[in-house]
Amino acid sequence: MSNWTSRSIGRDWQHRFFYLAIKLGGRRLAYLCLYVVVAWYARFSAVAKERASHYLARRFPDAGAWQRFWLRYRLILTFGQVLIDRAMVGILGAECIKVQLHGKDELLNLLGEGKGVILVNAHVGCWQVAMSSLSFMETPVNLLMQREEGDIDRHYFEHAGVECPYHIIDPRGFLGGALEMMEVLKRGEVLSVMGDRMLGDDQNGVSVEFLGGKVTMPFSAYKLAAATGAPIVALFSFKTGPDRYDLKLYRTIRVAPGLGRDQQAFVPYVQEFAATLEEFSWEHPFQFFNFFNMWYE
Amino acid sequence: MSVKEKLKKVLIEDLNLEDLTPDMIDDDMALFGDGLGLDSLDAVELVVVVQKHFGVEIKDMDEGRPALQSISTLAQFIEEKQGQ
Repeated sequence: MSNWTSRSIGRDWQHRFFYLAIKLGGRRLAYLCLYVVVAWYARFSAVAKERASHYLARRFPDAGAWQRFWLRYRLILTFGQVLIDRAMVGILGAECIKVQLHGKDELLNLLGEGKGVILVNAHVGCWQVAMSSLSFMETPVNLLMQREEGDIDRHYFEHAGVECPYHIIDPRGFLGGALEMMEVLKRGEVLSVMGDRMLGDDQNGVSVEFLGGKVTMPFSAYKLAAATGAPIVALFSFKTGPDRYDLKLYRTIRVAPGLGRDQQAFVPYVQEFAATLEEFSWEHPFQFFNFFNMWYE
Repeated sequence: MSVKEKLKKVLIEDLNLEDLTPDMIDDDMALFGDGLGLDSLDAVELVVVVQKHFGVEIKDMDEGRPALQSISTLAQFIEEKQGQ
């Protein structure tokens, strides 16, 4: 259904090089090295060019050759900075990044309804760093997350060598983790899922409009919302400075109960999410990190 | 009507399994995968259906995993819960 792969472009030693740079010289040294590395990738790496081209062609359809190089450079550079920031939180501690949350009261109100909250994130900004600012909710956060063989970039808690602060639900578990996800919502907890990309062999996707074309996005979260009454929150993070991120509640989506098995019934809700993500890509064009061809039309 | 018969009937109606009749569903047929052909998201629907028609809640994975194997296991689970 999608040609996305979790395999990183960089090699293991390249990731380790940046981890060492962070330990020796902090963000400054790591970013300095990054400028050079990204310039090389943006100019000479056919794989990087190809992977960045799909989104950029949609977001900047009128860009000429030189502009395309510059856009590619900025996109890959921001992505590299986000990876460095994520590693920094693990290596140097959470206090090295400041996260400002927009929509805290609304989130607390939604949690107060007692039906749990489904946070639908996307591969934008640095969701791992931003999630660390959700501790004020004082309720367990559960992540639907699948790691593949070949994933070499580490999560921040792996750098820190500490236990993952979230409960991970593996979509390869019993019934795709569906029962487990329902269970945490029934307990009034937070469930966080990615809404912009199909996971593994997941076939539960619907076609929606995104940046002028058709993409397939998963509807599992919306089905869970229909069954449990949990509100859906589109929550995106974005980098606002060298050591600063904002986490913003963009939209709350209420799914009607009893929509049944017809997947088309979920299209309006997934489309609402896609429109919100498109709004994000217009506001933060270089913080959208889906490096594969999402579009089939 | 037995719990098994009612279960088959409401599954067909609520999950829109229009190609099936209760007679075609074997008591020990797997609910998911090759048997009845339900998928992981249908499990969500199934939990709602069981609660709606039988007043029984499948609270967690410990209860759900053994119960959601076949019509027989689910009916047995419902009967046990209703008897409590």
